[in-house]
Amino acid sequence: MSSHIKEKGYFQKRKLRKNMVHLFLLPAAVLYGVFQLYPLISAALNSFYSFNGFDRDQFIGLKNFIVLFTEEPYKGTFFNAFKHNWIYFFVTVFTQLVISLFLALIIHSKIKGKEIFKSIFFLPKLLSVIVIGFLFSLVLNPTRGALNNLLEAIGLEELTRPWLGSMDTALFSVIFVDSWASIGFSMLIFLAGLQAIESEIFEAAKIDGANWFTVLRKITIPMLGPSLLVMSVLVFIGSFETFEYVYAMQGSSGGPYYSTDVLTTFFYRLAFGTTDGGQSIGLGSAIAVILFIIIGLATTLMLLIFRRKDFER
Amino acid sequence: MKFKKFILLIILLLTSGILFACSDKDTTSSGDSGEKVDAVELELYSWRPEDREAYEKFIEAFEAENPGIKINFQPFESTEYNTILTNSLVSGSGPDIVQLRPYSGTKSIADNGYLAPLDDVPGVMDIEESFLEAAKGSDGQVYGVPTTLNAGVIFYNKDIFEKYGLAAPETWEELLQVSEELKSNGITPIAQAGRAAYLLSMLHGVISPSAYGGNDYVDEILAGSTDLTDLKMMETLDRMEEIEQYLPEDFIALDDNDAQALFYAGEAAMYINGDYRLGTFEKNAPEMNIGIIPGLKGEGQNEPFVMNWVDGSFGVVEDSEHKEEALKFIEYMATKEFGQLFSDELNRLSAINGVEPKHELVKQVTKASEANTTPYLLLVYFGEGSPTTKTVFEDSLQGMYLGEITKEQVLEDAQKNVERVATEEE
Repeated sequence: MSSHIKEKGYFQKRKLRKNMVHLFLLPAAVLYGVFQLYPLISAALNSFYSFNGFDRDQFIGLKNFIVLFTEEPYKGTFFNAFKHNWIYFFVTVFTQLVISLFLALIIHSKIKGKEIFKSIFFLPKLLSVIVIGFLFSLVLNPTRGALNNLLEAIGLEELTRPWLGSMDTALFSVIFVDSWASIGFSMLIFLAGLQAIESEIFEAAKIDGANWFTVLRKITIPMLGPSLLVMSVLVFIGSFETFEYVYAMQGSSGGPYYSTDVLTTFFYRLAFGTTDGGQSIGLGSAIAVILFIIIGLATTLMLLIFRRKDFER
Repeated sequence: MKFKKFILLIILLLTSGILFACSDKDTTSSGDSGEKVDAVELELYSWRPEDREAYEKFIEAFEAENPGIKINFQPFESTEYNTILTNSLVSGSGPDIVQLRPYSGTKSIADNGYLAPLDDVPGVMDIEESFLEAAKGSDGQVYGVPTTLNAGVIFYNKDIFEKYGLAAPETWEELLQVSEELKSNGITPIAQAGRAAYLLSMLHGVISPSAYGGNDYVDEILAGSTDLTDLKMMETLDRMEEIEQYLPEDFIALDDNDAQALFYAGEAAMYINGDYRLGTFEKNAPEMNIGIIPGLKGEGQNEPFVMNWVDGSFGVVEDSEHKEEALKFIEYMATKEFGQLFSDELNRLSAINGVEPKHELVKQVTKASEANTTPYLLLVYFGEGSPTTKTVFEDSLQGMYLGEITKEQVLEDAQKNVERVATEEE
């Protein structure tokens, strides 16, 4: 009898302890609610209202969305920014993924001082975006910039240009800077993926006479599948959410003449206005909702495709 | 048991933090010799962190005469200010006195009922009507005391002009001649930046009134008898094209800082911006011999057009718990005493009547403004909508300089936006 009671007490205590665990989740849940869930829901609600920052008075249904897609100057600006997000994605796939995969392969190949290289490539990730943006604004400055000076010094004068002030090069310059800063992170992910592949497989391939390229194509890349998937999804999300580098280097106007404008800078201008005014939280929220849908859909789709491929294998 | 105590402690700590944050900070005790006087503490929001020292002096002077009131100057980054102000007004959590963006900036806040009308505050109605325009709501009542008047001017390096025997240009033609002369001597005539598009509309604002005929055209626009696609406006864009050859190479890629550096280094002879840059120059290049061309004369005119606009004003939050005290500070800001102190401390043009600036150049610009002032057209009358027509216009100027769109398109885009804004407001 007594042991029974004792047991009951023990279980109650255990149950209590188990429930206490939920308490530990509370701070995170509160933070998540306040900083993630609430803004998400309120942005979705705002997109159905005419809202200038003061009074969210008039429910206007889908009008904000219709205006964005059909009326100038919104329509032109929206699709221009949307196009830039796609360019951002495709270029980043090359400048960040391909190059970092290449770097990961080199470092994985047991070269001397690989730890040092690893640190060097990862270093930019530790710097603040604003610092990087500012430094590269100086490097790319047309009159005093280090890049143009360097090009002149090595006799490539015809290549000098106003990198951030030209319609043709501004966006690519920003993407390059972003990739430069992020390359270390994707390299580490790939490196981890490479280290997970058992070395016997490579050795077996070598014995079978496979050359470097065949190994890469038939073994390394297929076996890096999960890392590639993660990085592609991250790069996609990053390209559509990109804001910091454009803002740090070109301001919220996405200049010159909207050549670096992306959906988030367009969103920023509408939702928060400029110092001259021009605030429309309703329209801004509509862009945020569209962005959320694009990223959500594309990410799901990519995951599905990759998963199916996984099954095939 | 220990575990429970730990949790309790954490909860206690968290809640005490919240309680502390919520505690009433409105009244503080002040007074020297242990004698306790309950002073009302007012929060003043501004977008001028760089003017902190000067504002502290103004506040000190005010507090000396009003021992029951303490004012806390709270400046924010200019680019963040609008959002911070809107949020704190909507949540009712913030300031008692607020700095207000001019024209449409004040109007939108006043129209939403967040500001107290100031028409009855002594001294406010003595301020020049055109300045008060910047601080009115749609109901025609005044909601802010304008403190500063800005002027878009041409700064020039006197030493360079002397070296080449040049006189300060007074008309558009003279500006071109002088620029040509400077250019042939290897000096960049005008240190202009274009990466931030607003600098282009500043340039446009300074060189265009003498092309479109100043206030007559402005009146026509306001009356609706003409619009931005007018031939007179086209003439201003012709000027913008003509002057391009005298701007630095790749100026669209240059920041304002780059332009200033060119001017400091004597590589460029002129620099166009608001008169408020005078303070920047005197701080960064005190040895520089700077002159100011307040504006350009039109045909057959004796006085140049000076492009003016009100920089901002100060208003009182309608729901402030200490409205009465806040209004006292506003009353002080409308006095000549404050105006004089303001002008002396910051070397700016005061909006208050009868203030005599100390600085020679400020005196010169003030005099010129009084003689022939013309509004900064795009900022004063085209600052509404989302995006504002001013923004559309200056972005399009970037496009024009980059060869993406024609002059005609610049004006068409701007006018289209004017029409869109009109429907937006309906």
